[in-house]
This record gives sequence, C-alpha cells and structure tokens, in this order.
Amino acid sequence: MGSVRASFSFSTSDVMTADISLSVGADLLADSGTISRAKVVKTAVDANALEVYTVNDKTESAYLYLKNLDTVKENYVYIYNDTDSDGLVAKIAGLEFCFIPVAVNKAYRVYGTKVDSMVEFAVFGLDSSAAGPFNQS
Amino acid sequence: MATTTATITLSSGDLTGDALSLSTTSTLTKAGTVTGLTQFTGVGRKTRTTTAQMTLFDGDAYANGSHKVYLRNTSTVATEYFTIEINSEQIGKIYAGDWAFFPWEANADTNDIKIAASVGTAMTIEYALFIDE
Repeated sequence: MGSVRASFSFSTSDVMTADISLSVGADLLADSGTISRAKVVKTAVDANALEVYTVNDKTESAYLYLKNLDTVKENYVYIYNDTDSDGLVAKIAGLEFCFIPVAVNKAYRVYGTKVDSMVEFAVFGLDSSAAGPFNQS
Repeated sequence: MATTTATITLSSGDLTGDALSLSTTSTLTKAGTVTGLTQFTGVGRKTRTTTAQMTLFDGDAYANGSHKVYLRNTSTVATEYFTIEINSEQIGKIYAGDWAFFPWEANADTNDIKIAASVGTAMTIEYALFIDE
C-alpha cells in the first residue's frame, strides 16, 4: 500500500479587504494510481463516453482529480454518474479542475461541449478486486 | 478584477515506479468569462451532532453560474466521514482530514449541496464558497 499527498490552497488579495489564504493537505491511502490524459469523445451522455472511474475499482473511498485542459473557458467538461442516474456531478470550465470524492460503486464518465477537448485525470484509493484494470472494464 | 487562485498538488513517492508529482493552478473565474469571482462566504465551519442530512448550500439562494466549493472534514478519526450530495446525487465521502474542491452550477432550486455526518458525535466540516453573481 502506498499513499498520495493531496494538497490544496487558495488565495486572494482583492476579493476581501483582508488577504485570504488557505492551505490544507491530506494523505490518502492508495494501492495504485496514474495520471492520464485523454480526449473527450462525446458531447452528451453516452455509453461510449470517456470513463474516468470504473465501478468498484476502489474500496471504501476514492478521489477523482480532473482538469479540463481546453484553453477556452466555455468549452466545458461534464462529469456524470453513469451507473444509475446519468446525474451531473460537476461542470468544469476550460483550465479549471476539481478534486472530489466519488461513490466507489458507481461509474463516472465525462462528455464535453465539444469533442477532442483534452482532460487530465487521476483516481486514488485502495484497489478492489471486483473490477478489472482501470478503464478496461 | 479580483483574482483568486486555487492550486492542487498531488505527490507520492511510493505509488508508482517514478515519483508522482503534479501541481496545477487555476484562476477562479465566472462562468464562460475570464472575470474573477468577487464574492466569498469566508471560510466557515459547521459542527454536526446528528447523522441527519443538512443543506450546506441552497441552490435556490444562488444564481446559475460557476461557483467554487471547498469542503474539508476536520475529524481526526479515520473512520469518520461526511457524505456529500449534489442535486440528490451522492458524489462520495470525505474521510477524516480529507478535502474536496469543485465547481458548482446551482442551475436549479433543487441543486443543493447537502452533507451528512457518519456519526452523531460532533463532526465538523470546514467550507467556503466563491460565488459567481
């Protein structure tokens, strides 16, 4: 078993009259992990949309990092629950990112405002034997 | 224009053959523009002494936009977690010490962000919202 240090900070000097700066970090237990880069291939919910988390790939808890690499703000990437509801989880504008927990027993896919936008993503957690290799189910 | 930056760093020396190291920064802007977000809730905390679900951010209270949400479970007990739900969609659990950051559209009155503590013994969530209005 390994671990991943996930650190986050945000800061601003002009939203409030006082400077704001927050920095946190967490050590996540993980068995495996890789940072992938892939093309968005669909513009709506679709069985062949890019899968970013495979159902039951992890046990107990898993965290998904995803960054939309498109440089145009309006070229959004949408993360949705592919297992049961097709419900939208997050809408990521160009060059923005998210770091979210995912329900380990659901599959998550993404579609975009347009195809061929690139995304960078990674999932971290303890591996489950219930799923095959990541993105190979 | 107000400028707020968010940075994530992921690193590990024992997960892969080569050391894993990623750091990326994003400037927080309003939906579809390069205009910075100008409203902020501040960093707050809410302590829950029940496992009942509560609405942390009400979709009816914010315009359709690209708000940014920060959440952190301040617990130090490894088994304690907050379940996070958006628009009745459970997105996952934040365990002790863990955090999440994501955009929130608030595109409908029902597009609430709700949380539920795993135990009813004083669990605290830290939160902040940069508002797109």
